[in-house]
Amino acid sequence: MSTAQISTPPKLQLDGLMLRYAVLVGLIAAASIGFGIANENFYSLTNLGILLRSISVLFLVSMGMTFVMLTGGIDLSVGSNVAFSGGVGVVALTTTGSATAGFVAALLAGMAIGWVNGFFIGRLRLSAFMVTLATFALARGLALVIYGADSINVDNGAFLWLGGTSWGNLPVVIPFVAMVFIALSVVLYRTVFGREVYATGSNFNTAFVLGRRPERTLIWVYILTGFLAGLSAIITVGRVSSGQPWTGLYLEFDAITAVILGGTALAGGRGRLLGTILGVLLYGIIINGLVLTGTNPFLQSLIKGLILLGVVLLDTFTQKGRAT
Amino acid sequence: MTGAAKLLREYNIVFVTIGLCLVFFLISPRFVSIDNMSAISRQIVPIGLIALGQFFVVVSGNIDLSMGMGSVLFAIVLGVLFGATGGVALGIIAVIVCSLALGFFNGALVAKLKLPAFIVTLSTLFMAQGLSGLIIPRGQQIFLMGDFFRFVGAEKFLGVYWSFLFLAGLFALAYVVYNHTRWGAYVIAIGNSEENAKLAGINVDRVKIGIFMFSALCSGFAGIILSSRMGFVQPGLDGNGLLLDGIAAIIIGGTLILGGRGTIAGAFWGLLFIGVINNALNLLNVVDVWHQVFKGAVILAALGVNWWLWQSRQAEAQ
Repeated sequence: MSTAQISTPPKLQLDGLMLRYAVLVGLIAAASIGFGIANENFYSLTNLGILLRSISVLFLVSMGMTFVMLTGGIDLSVGSNVAFSGGVGVVALTTTGSATAGFVAALLAGMAIGWVNGFFIGRLRLSAFMVTLATFALARGLALVIYGADSINVDNGAFLWLGGTSWGNLPVVIPFVAMVFIALSVVLYRTVFGREVYATGSNFNTAFVLGRRPERTLIWVYILTGFLAGLSAIITVGRVSSGQPWTGLYLEFDAITAVILGGTALAGGRGRLLGTILGVLLYGIIINGLVLTGTNPFLQSLIKGLILLGVVLLDTFTQKGRAT
Repeated sequence: MTGAAKLLREYNIVFVTIGLCLVFFLISPRFVSIDNMSAISRQIVPIGLIALGQFFVVVSGNIDLSMGMGSVLFAIVLGVLFGATGGVALGIIAVIVCSLALGFFNGALVAKLKLPAFIVTLSTLFMAQGLSGLIIPRGQQIFLMGDFFRFVGAEKFLGVYWSFLFLAGLFALAYVVYNHTRWGAYVIAIGNSEENAKLAGINVDRVKIGIFMFSALCSGFAGIILSSRMGFVQPGLDGNGLLLDGIAAIIIGGTLILGGRGTIAGAFWGLLFIGVINNALNLLNVVDVWHQVFKGAVILAALGVNWWLWQSRQAEAQ
């Protein structure tokens, strides 16, 4: 009986989630109209391209964070990991001159940090926020060491292609993100691994007793997040044609907010990738709008903090309302 | 397990810290001078306050990520009020009131609404960072000069900094509260099992709110002492580094992050360890960028060692 319960993707709660998605779409429309009035350039195709490109990294990282949060975990290290894996990739690229070596190095570096997280969280069962707080410091420190606290310019066309090229007004990275979304959706909804993710988040012990090896699932989920951080690093380097040690600062915070905004439960086991996409869009439009209107960065921090807390509070109250 | 091995296991951090001091002494004899020891004692005070506040939070099975940025915010509150009034009394009162308010806010959300502590304090971390840059004009420094700041930051009593005596006193007080009062037992009980604590008739919500108010108050004190030592405040100070150092200290000191276990003495040794490492990294001219690598690696290693110690104790108990 319980097998059926945990292995069913969350179709049961879909009504609640659908309502949420409708609200999110409405808010995205409202935010676009609002910023469209505040800034007449907002609607130009160029700006939409720039907007989508600037949040492409947030899309990737947030999708990884969705997997992590579905298992009931958290990954505070992704932002640092983007800087670290970018550094490894750029150094591999400049020393060997081969873009392939750069790609492979960046992805492997990202996955390595992910593995460390996964090992401590999955195998040793330590709390995710504590482990990833340590790798948050470790990966950022390693990035600073690799770069010698300075940025490195990159001029290899192949390496920069993904993040830097546009077809007309359409940056290449946007269809790429869409492809990653489709691939991850297949993994999450159509494979055994995807079910294990939901099972682990619903109840680790039940999953364990049922012989589902949730500890292994956890390790792979964090490796996947690291892999996506590596991809994000490649895109980031491509966007600005250089590798920078402080890139991705507080990216994890943005990703967590976007994922929660998209309806993924903090306790794990409930949520979908589509929600995360909508969450990133809404959050990205707001952040982009704040940047475009020249808001004081400290005020932006305050607003970000308020958004996260506001969404979490709203979730708590609406869920309480539903329960009674 | 033999007696000696057990001793080594239970007091590992003591041996490691002393061993480390010996190594640094061999590398650079300057390390064990009175001057340097005294410098370490002053450097560790803000970290120690963060560690002490965080200790109770972690033993109760939670975390307070807002402590570092909180300290920065409170330092700036102090600075702004000092700049406006020219006196410190109002500033100190404001810091205490603001920090207790922040702690109450964190604690109430965690206790009453059952929100995860890391999410609540992550968002208050950002709010604190934002506010710290908004209440002070952009890019401006406020210099803190006067008897009070010199007393807190630089004056000694019988060769020991007042600020270190304050920290030591607070640790002693915490030791008594943690080991010999009901409140300390409540914190451990909540960390072990909130359900059981509730069944035993403990007012879990009130204790939790108290824990977060104490941790925020500690970050307020840390802000006052840090800014007095530096002699100025400005937005963009490294609050997160302070937070990480504080957390590192208590984890190295053997506090179990799953909650319910930990000793004040362990936290103090962990603090000394972090102080010695920080000082040695500076003294040996290790390039700045390596510091953070070291910090992260040390926390990870300590997490692993704690886990292993915990397993071996469990095995022994059975």
